[in-house]
Amino acid sequence: MSKEKLIDVKNLATYFHTEEGTVKAVDGVSFEIYPGETLGVVGESGCGKSVTSLSIMRLIESPPGKIERGEIIFNNKDLTKSTQKDMRKIRGNDISMIFQEPMTSLNPVYTVGDQIMEAILIHKDVNKKQARQEAIDMLTKVGIPLPEQRVDEYPHQLSGGMRQRVMIAMALSCDPQLLIADEPTTALDVTIQAQILELMNGLKDQFGMAIMMITHDLGVIAEVSDRVAVMYAGKIVEYTDVETLYANPKHPYTWGLMHSIPHIEKDVDRLQAIPGSVPNPLDFPQGCKYNTRCPFATDKCREIEPEIEEIEEGHQVACWHVDKLEEAKAKEKKKKEKK
Amino acid sequence: MMSYIARRLLILPVILFGVSLLVFSMLMLIGPYKRLSTYIKSPAELKTANLDTLVDKYGLNDPFYVQYSRWIKGVLQGDFGWSETAGQPVSKAILSRFPATLELALLALIPVIMGGINLGVFSAVHHNDPWDHITRVFSIVGWSIPTFVFGLVVLMIFYGVLGWFPPGRLSVWAEDIIRSGEFIQYTHLNVIDGLLNGNLRVVGDALRHLIAPVISISILWWAYILRITRSSMLETLRKDYIRTARSKGVKEKLVIKKHARKNALIPVVTVAGFMVLGLLGGLVITETIFGYQGLGKFFASAASQLDYAAVLGLALYFGFLLIIINLCVDVSYAIIDPRIRLE
Repeated sequence: MSKEKLIDVKNLATYFHTEEGTVKAVDGVSFEIYPGETLGVVGESGCGKSVTSLSIMRLIESPPGKIERGEIIFNNKDLTKSTQKDMRKIRGNDISMIFQEPMTSLNPVYTVGDQIMEAILIHKDVNKKQARQEAIDMLTKVGIPLPEQRVDEYPHQLSGGMRQRVMIAMALSCDPQLLIADEPTTALDVTIQAQILELMNGLKDQFGMAIMMITHDLGVIAEVSDRVAVMYAGKIVEYTDVETLYANPKHPYTWGLMHSIPHIEKDVDRLQAIPGSVPNPLDFPQGCKYNTRCPFATDKCREIEPEIEEIEEGHQVACWHVDKLEEAKAKEKKKKEKK
Repeated sequence: MMSYIARRLLILPVILFGVSLLVFSMLMLIGPYKRLSTYIKSPAELKTANLDTLVDKYGLNDPFYVQYSRWIKGVLQGDFGWSETAGQPVSKAILSRFPATLELALLALIPVIMGGINLGVFSAVHHNDPWDHITRVFSIVGWSIPTFVFGLVVLMIFYGVLGWFPPGRLSVWAEDIIRSGEFIQYTHLNVIDGLLNGNLRVVGDALRHLIAPVISISILWWAYILRITRSSMLETLRKDYIRTARSKGVKEKLVIKKHARKNALIPVVTVAGFMVLGLLGGLVITETIFGYQGLGKFFASAASQLDYAAVLGLALYFGFLLIIINLCVDVSYAIIDPRIRLE
């Protein structure tokens, strides 16, 4: 891709200095998003996905949170060095965000119209009447029936799916260049999930924006992403385009995740899960942070942490033993053929 | 909402009936000869009077329902009985003291609610920094000092030493002015009447008498409202919709004032309701310390002198007040929070 990057995150690290110790929630993450594409960020809870997105928005609560190092280049400006005043001009205008919990992400004491209008009135030079009309137009675009009526309703009068549509309407009301969606479908029913994803895909083309889709659901990633960053314990462990990731995962963690997805066409007695659980962020293991759960871990993994490296064009992996995974894959293939 | 209010008001007489029945039966537990003491003015009377005839005369030995129906019949005709402590009819005694209590309550409410809420919000926004610690210490101290201690200290300093804020409700000369024919008592609230009559000296004198009791009430409730607002505000500031507001680019000041404060006020309204009830119900200790002729002082003396007509009348007044204030609290909930619907 020769296009200019929309946002370029370089070696970002965000730590939380708590009483129990320092939590390295995000520890040296680099990625970039191009205009009009969707980057999927996937990982288990607590791997630093949300903190990454909140760091971009500069909404990390400080104290205890702090961006320790790294750069976030957006429109030739480093957001980590921007003032809060400058950030307010960017938030909701150039970069918008939608959140996981549509039930609690809208203010219960104001109408949805008021809340959408608020963003429009902050960033656009329009009067209240025009803002209201724009809010109604946005509600129409996100597929809310009877928008003229809904605009005056309170969040509690809407269903979860409808509220998430309102959140999307609010986020897109000022035509942002980047939409950060932090688990936008996790709290919704499966059928509503599909609708919301479809809506987001449609709006992406219509508005020509880029999306950073944060999720723990590989199914969602497959549905919407162009490229994917897999995060584990505050780092990106694998970073490539979506087809390659699914066809040829190179990191044992990604491989493990793929195995733990139930497939409708396969009849298995037991799903393969990744053994163990995410290490405590206050007490990460030495070396590769995945070594406690990795079937291929060696002494080297327990001592030295691998840096993320490009092993093929457009495919970055942080693992010492990419070859071992390949052997395992080959073995598995043989087994299947025998059957 | 109107039908809700109407229904609540319709229940009012039923509740008041229950309250009167309960209080009346409690008073009946006191023996007839003890209750007779209300009617006896001096110890000398005890020697000359025939107590049995007096008990019969006032019907103190009649069965419960006879005594109760005699009393309630009077009440229905607007006659709450004669208060011996006040030396006037109960209804008149309550009505004449109500403006004093109301004036004190209104003046105390303004600093308490405005100051308590603003300091609470301030403290929550500055969570865990020195300002927050100072306000917290203040609120704990304010809430822990008993009124009878704090009130006496205030009286001692501002009256005893400095002579600024005398006890009572008005100075003698001001009393003379408001009793004179030229001064029209529109509301019986001295500050407002003084303003309406254009007599600033009366206003000044009334305020001078009000400041000390207001200070000693305020400190307590101020601290309480502050604590409730602070904790409610801290909780609200962690809500997802606050993050949403910030992510829209809303200024921090507006995030707090518009998005957080309105939500944080809901529990504060409940406490404020209790506070208004406490203030309008009369402040026994404060009024006694400052010699302020309000309902609290009246209630204390009526109860201690077994003036049961006055006690019953005041019980009905409290019941009435409780229901009206609860109704106001419910209505304010519905105004603040659209999720609450009154049905």
